[in-house]
Amino acid sequence: MRIMRVLAFFASAWLIAQSALAQGISNLPREETIIIENPQGTITNPPWFNIWMVARGGNSNGLQQLGMDTLWYIDPDAGIDGVWDNSLAADKPQYNADFTEMTVKLRDGIHWSDGVEFTADDVVFTVQTQMKNPSMIWGPVFLASVDTVTAPDKHTVVFKLKRPNSRFHATFTVRWNAAWIMPKHVFEKVEDPTKFDFNPPVTIGPYKLHSFDPNGKWYIWEKREDWQRTSLARHGEPGPKYAAYIDPGPPDKRVILQLNHQLDIIHDTSPEGVFTLIKQSPTSQGWFKGFPYAHPDPTLPAVMFNHQVEPFQNADVRWALALLIDIKAVSMASYRGAATISAIGVPPTGLYGEYYFDPLEQWLTDFEIDTGKQKYKPYDPTVGQQIADMLRPSMGEQIPTDPKEIAKAIGRGWWKPNPEAATELLERAGFTKQGDQWLKPDGTPFSITLLVEGDQRPVMTRAGTMIVQQWRQFGIDAKTQAYPSDFFPRVESGDFEAAIAWSVETWGGHPDLSFFLDSWHSEFLKPRGERQPPRNRQRWTHPELDKIIEEIRTIDFDDPKVQELGQEYIKLAVREMPIIPLMSYNVFTMMDTTYWTGYPSADDPYTNPVSNWANTKYMFVRLKPAKAQ
Amino acid sequence: MRTYALYLVRRFAQFLLVVFIGINIAYLITHLTPVDPVEQAISSVTMFGQSSPEMVEVMRKTLRELYGLEGSPWEQYVSFWRRMATGDFGPSLSAFPTPVSTLIWQALPWTLGLLVSSTLIAWIVGNFLGGLAGYYRKNSLLKALGILAMSLQPIPYYIVAFILLVVFGYLWPVLPISGGAEMNIDRQGFAFAASIVRHSILPVLSLVLVGLGAWFIGMRSLVSNIVTEDYVTYAELGGVDRRRILFSYVMRNALSPQLTGLALSLGAIFNGAIITEFVFGYPGVGTLLVRAVNSGDYSLVLGITSVSIIAVATAILVIDIIYPLLDPRVARS
Repeated sequence: MRIMRVLAFFASAWLIAQSALAQGISNLPREETIIIENPQGTITNPPWFNIWMVARGGNSNGLQQLGMDTLWYIDPDAGIDGVWDNSLAADKPQYNADFTEMTVKLRDGIHWSDGVEFTADDVVFTVQTQMKNPSMIWGPVFLASVDTVTAPDKHTVVFKLKRPNSRFHATFTVRWNAAWIMPKHVFEKVEDPTKFDFNPPVTIGPYKLHSFDPNGKWYIWEKREDWQRTSLARHGEPGPKYAAYIDPGPPDKRVILQLNHQLDIIHDTSPEGVFTLIKQSPTSQGWFKGFPYAHPDPTLPAVMFNHQVEPFQNADVRWALALLIDIKAVSMASYRGAATISAIGVPPTGLYGEYYFDPLEQWLTDFEIDTGKQKYKPYDPTVGQQIADMLRPSMGEQIPTDPKEIAKAIGRGWWKPNPEAATELLERAGFTKQGDQWLKPDGTPFSITLLVEGDQRPVMTRAGTMIVQQWRQFGIDAKTQAYPSDFFPRVESGDFEAAIAWSVETWGGHPDLSFFLDSWHSEFLKPRGERQPPRNRQRWTHPELDKIIEEIRTIDFDDPKVQELGQEYIKLAVREMPIIPLMSYNVFTMMDTTYWTGYPSADDPYTNPVSNWANTKYMFVRLKPAKAQ
Repeated sequence: MRTYALYLVRRFAQFLLVVFIGINIAYLITHLTPVDPVEQAISSVTMFGQSSPEMVEVMRKTLRELYGLEGSPWEQYVSFWRRMATGDFGPSLSAFPTPVSTLIWQALPWTLGLLVSSTLIAWIVGNFLGGLAGYYRKNSLLKALGILAMSLQPIPYYIVAFILLVVFGYLWPVLPISGGAEMNIDRQGFAFAASIVRHSILPVLSLVLVGLGAWFIGMRSLVSNIVTEDYVTYAELGGVDRRRILFSYVMRNALSPQLTGLALSLGAIFNGAIITEFVFGYPGVGTLLVRAVNSGDYSLVLGITSVSIIAVATAILVIDIIYPLLDPRVARS
């Protein structure tokens, strides 16, 4: 027994001594290292850094954030120096009058991590190489758009386009990512660029690869000694000497690791995890100081109807289904109230409050639907306020009181549930009610199967479950069906009636809606059963919509008319209700200030905090070591 | 001897048949899945902006050619078996062009290390304690252990894992809760080995706690039956040392079925401990399999499944080859 006791003592002592090592990183000063969640989890092909190939390695392992660069960035929020940032380009793109030619002026003094100077030849090589290899990510885009690309001098690139395209620069403009520039001097020596792993990567961003796990669990990047020779340097010196992107595992573990100060940035976790962190970790902060803490992504989860399936072609039916939803209950069920709701077809994100929500508020308040029996104003501008009031007894001071803050964090108005108006709309569409059940015009029960992503996206799945319950209470035979793995392929092939997903993605910081709207043009509509190009997953077409899209194509990206046309689309989408907008996709990014301060927030929205976005590179120049202060 | 040789031939033919049928079923299931790796790859690109319909079509066509998905289903099937005959599982579709075998070989040592150690620890401790509990039926400590084993066994694995995570990762944070080793550690030498051991403590402990109960209960029942046999009573009456009776007469006889169970468990570890690896963020075949399923990488799924089928069938074959040497009646039957 004595021996056992001695052994137990030594075992405990060893465990306690190891607690420092349980921090998880060896041989690097923690005070100089930021540890970030890689939302892609474990990378299947860890040594692959050829980011130009489809689905081969990892993007969110720091590669596109710290190692790559391209011509321009648009911030989904206010931006470090405004929404638009000329990165490798010295200026905005210059188009000729009919948008068939784009000229780019490049920055001087930028170098790759191996000391070679970045020039226009790198850009030309990037485009030509991918055009020769359509299995490279941007190859097909260049093939479809570019006639010739030339470099008249070291710092100028001229693209001649196959047809007028006022948005060609978007290919080189980072929203989440974009066409990264290849190092010509490396790739030109490679026989087959599609089979080249680019390991170790020669970077043009301010960091270079330090080390990585052969099993794909972590990647460490080290600040380049010559970081001044990168495009980010004009905003300052990056704070952390090292950046580790790790796979921390499921949401509970992310929370535990941050409570132990072993994970500085959680990319995303559950609302419950955030509430735990807020309660137990004074050093953790979210995007908003108080509720809902999360960063609203410039995407818009919505109930999408398949417009090629009866009876969802009928706007009366779609509106009736919208009027049966109580968004307050959906918000509570999905995000535990930490949602930012939206009644219109753009997300309540970034600067969209100024661009779209504020200017349309009165129009929405005055908007009427005619059910045939009554004219009804469905918009309730106080719903955001009501959700805030519901949450206040349990969340107290965390809930904002200023109406402007509530609008930004929790949302503005939404549609008032109105079963009576829904009944009138359905009756006008030829539906009848027998007992407790609604029947379609052909006499069969009105049933809806709502596709959800299951445990792949629990928050949206919970929203879907609540919506289905509300439809069922009204007498519709509704149910959810979960497809965690093949949700998007199924939706894109039209194999669904309704689904909870997003088909609206915006720049966030810039009002131009072409990012998603262009592919909603009826010219791209596929028959049911054939795969629809991503975006117009609902397969909605409308002559007025086509006109809006065509007009956007002919005007400049920064033309003030962009916003006007965006508003026209929103009004049309309100009248037609092709999708029922619910809320922005709130990402619960949590940042720990134990080792680093200066993170972006709703009060200082200089960049997106969500760690898989390439824009997070801007965070690095604002991060300061906490212990030094 | 001739009987044994015939038995071996018959048994080996059975082994080949089982492997062939098993891999064919796996091939069929993976190829019937609606998840299309090309569409998954396209989704991963278009989800973030590149959504020109023309571009999607060009990319779809190019990727199908690149991944070798062109050709009739029969041609694909024949080409699969042609490759399998040389031990080549082809390239992974989600980590193209890395060969599936490379990915499996990278992940396998972690899974083998984790599961071999936890299976052996659970087996040895469970059988030892279970043997004692079956023999010394009145010992209160062993009775209590029996109750503990019975109580632990029905608890879902992930609950035990989660409790360990909270206790040793949060309440008393002395053990790492994620990964197979520390980041950036020199992969040669003692420090790396010590780091692997430290990172494996919680996953091994969770597997041992759950696995131990079954071995304990199984061994206790076997021993409880054997102790009533005449030869045990005779030995006791003859004054043979009780420890010798327990270890040489009772537990040794009770071990045969437990050894079969051990061989099957060891064969099955090639599947990877999916939940363990997921919960503890442990690198291994289980993690690899989950990622392969999610990305529609049926080459990788098929590779892992085939290795698993061959491993389990081989384990059973080995047991069947050894058994007749111990008991000739098996070969004759």
